[in-house]
Amino acid sequence: MDKHDSGITRRRLLKATGALAGVSAMSGFTPAWAQSGGRVVVGTWGGDYSKLLAKNIDTPLLVPKKYEVVHDIGGDSERRAKMRAEARLPRGTSDLQGLSAPQMYEMNEAGLCLPIDYAKIPNAQYLLTQMRYPYGVGHIYSGKVILYNPKLITTPPTSFADAIDPKHGGKLGIIDIQYPYTMMAAALGSGGSMTNYEPGKERLLACRKAGAKILPTNEAMAQALQNEEVGICIMWKARAVQWQKAGAKVDTVAPKEGIPLYISGFVIPKNAPNKDAAHFWLNEMLQPSAQEAFAEDMGYNGSVTNAKIPPETEKRIGFNADERKRLIDLDYGYLAKNDAALKEWWDKSFKG
Amino acid sequence: MGSATARLERPGTQAWTAAAMIAPASIVVMIGIVLPVAILFRYSLNQFTPAKVMVDAVTLENYVKFFTDPFYRAILFRTIRVAALCTAICVVLAFPMAYCLARTRSRFKNLLLMAVILPLFVGNAVRAAGWMVLFGNRGFINSMLIGLGITREPLQIMYTEFAVVVGVIAVNLPFVVLTLQAVLEGIDRAVEEAALGLGAGPWRTFRHVILPLAMPGVIAGTILSFILAMNAYATPVLLGGPTFQMMGPTVYNQFAGLSNWPFGAALAFVLMTATLLLTVTSNWMAQARYRR
Repeated sequence: MDKHDSGITRRRLLKATGALAGVSAMSGFTPAWAQSGGRVVVGTWGGDYSKLLAKNIDTPLLVPKKYEVVHDIGGDSERRAKMRAEARLPRGTSDLQGLSAPQMYEMNEAGLCLPIDYAKIPNAQYLLTQMRYPYGVGHIYSGKVILYNPKLITTPPTSFADAIDPKHGGKLGIIDIQYPYTMMAAALGSGGSMTNYEPGKERLLACRKAGAKILPTNEAMAQALQNEEVGICIMWKARAVQWQKAGAKVDTVAPKEGIPLYISGFVIPKNAPNKDAAHFWLNEMLQPSAQEAFAEDMGYNGSVTNAKIPPETEKRIGFNADERKRLIDLDYGYLAKNDAALKEWWDKSFKG
Repeated sequence: MGSATARLERPGTQAWTAAAMIAPASIVVMIGIVLPVAILFRYSLNQFTPAKVMVDAVTLENYVKFFTDPFYRAILFRTIRVAALCTAICVVLAFPMAYCLARTRSRFKNLLLMAVILPLFVGNAVRAAGWMVLFGNRGFINSMLIGLGITREPLQIMYTEFAVVVGVIAVNLPFVVLTLQAVLEGIDRAVEEAALGLGAGPWRTFRHVILPLAMPGVIAGTILSFILAMNAYATPVLLGGPTFQMMGPTVYNQFAGLSNWPFGAALAFVLMTATLLLTVTSNWMAQARYRR
């Protein structure tokens, strides 16, 4: 666990609070800072995301208010497994868990999420309605776009059907951990929909037969694009912006079938030890300053309407009016119900 | 003092003393191994539903699914094949190294031993990362091959069985060397000298004297390497990539990726049972062969 605090340890804080409680019992006076929110444990992905949560939310907004913020770092799979394993405990080990929108839905369906008390999150008045879930709060979003290297793919693609096409042979790269989104994009490019991924399977098998490369992670794809081993793939626009910044010579295209949304947010486990602090952390997460910093640092769009994103950043990471019309949300129910079956097909028929 | 010794020697007291000495380790084993394994076995008999993950039941459907699905059977056979191959290569490579280490009188013997142990200071994932640098399409090997004009296009080394076998051997080799070296140290040089003195050549001495005497070490090293290879996780994930699937990562994927705990538990039990059966059988066969 990474710890971000201002040098006030829990032990010191408890000692001080104990002493003050004694004094205040005698005098009937309680100073404001003695009402500290205590410790808040945030389950999150590691790497840049965790660092930026610390830099843009924890350190500037929580620590001055005497909160101790601890990051429980891990992949979302591990953290979801942990939530399930801790479900029977009266007191869990985390106050918040960062998950994608379908994962938040899945955890809520499993009965593991606390209903969000929006009265405790004043900043939620500016929250985009699509990201205001009864069981979680959206933090950032991006959309699935096509990335291609103009040197290797001379005819710019315009659609998922163009991108996920056997004609690209070994120049097409597919990310293993992005299997639901790849199947979704292949389905959209083959007449399927958000509630029917079946039509995309034939297209994917044809691509595999033609030599499409399957890479294990997003980072492996970034390297393959950089090395020009791969010329075309699909990815979140935010990632594309990061990779372009890192020197990958790729252009992006918003597919004409629609731009599937990627929303990342936070849920509060039902057995969170400090539910009030969790709500407070969510409120601070929606502060315009935090949202603006995330857009600048990470290339993701914020989830509030009152953040002031510089026009050049907006142009780089956002979507124009026409593209915004094509943003489509995922069907979380379909994904939750079919994820195991989709993964089994992916492992056995597509990769096998 | 005399009466105290007499008290200690009484059978009842001895039994209590033995029980008291065994108890802490037994409790640790119970809590740390037996209990989780028992819970895992119980989970393997449950049913999977995507929303609830597990529904209490007593069913063999997860085991039936494994044994009737060629895909999962293929993963098990691939794992056994890789583990057996890696173990065989490890023993063949480790024996001469261990023999030299055991017989050397060099003042650098401790340094040589340290050189064998040194890779164990680094985690499997870090070592696999090193192999990735070597095996990548723009890695050291491919750059060298292209630079020397031996190949035009990079060879696909990453994400292949070859890469996994090399990676697993690199992880297991020090364990086998150290196990063998400990046993070879205990073999009296006089036995070898007697064999050579009686006219046996080096090969006959090795086959009929050293190898049978070193057999406990060979068996222990084989078991150790086989178990490690059967349960390998980081190396197959990092060097095998998405398409080369082995049992360890598949078990993890069922638990963490798909939240299918009942099937993951069943896979874990199949892996554990297969490892145990193969280990016990090979141990029994080797002992029977060299007891004659």
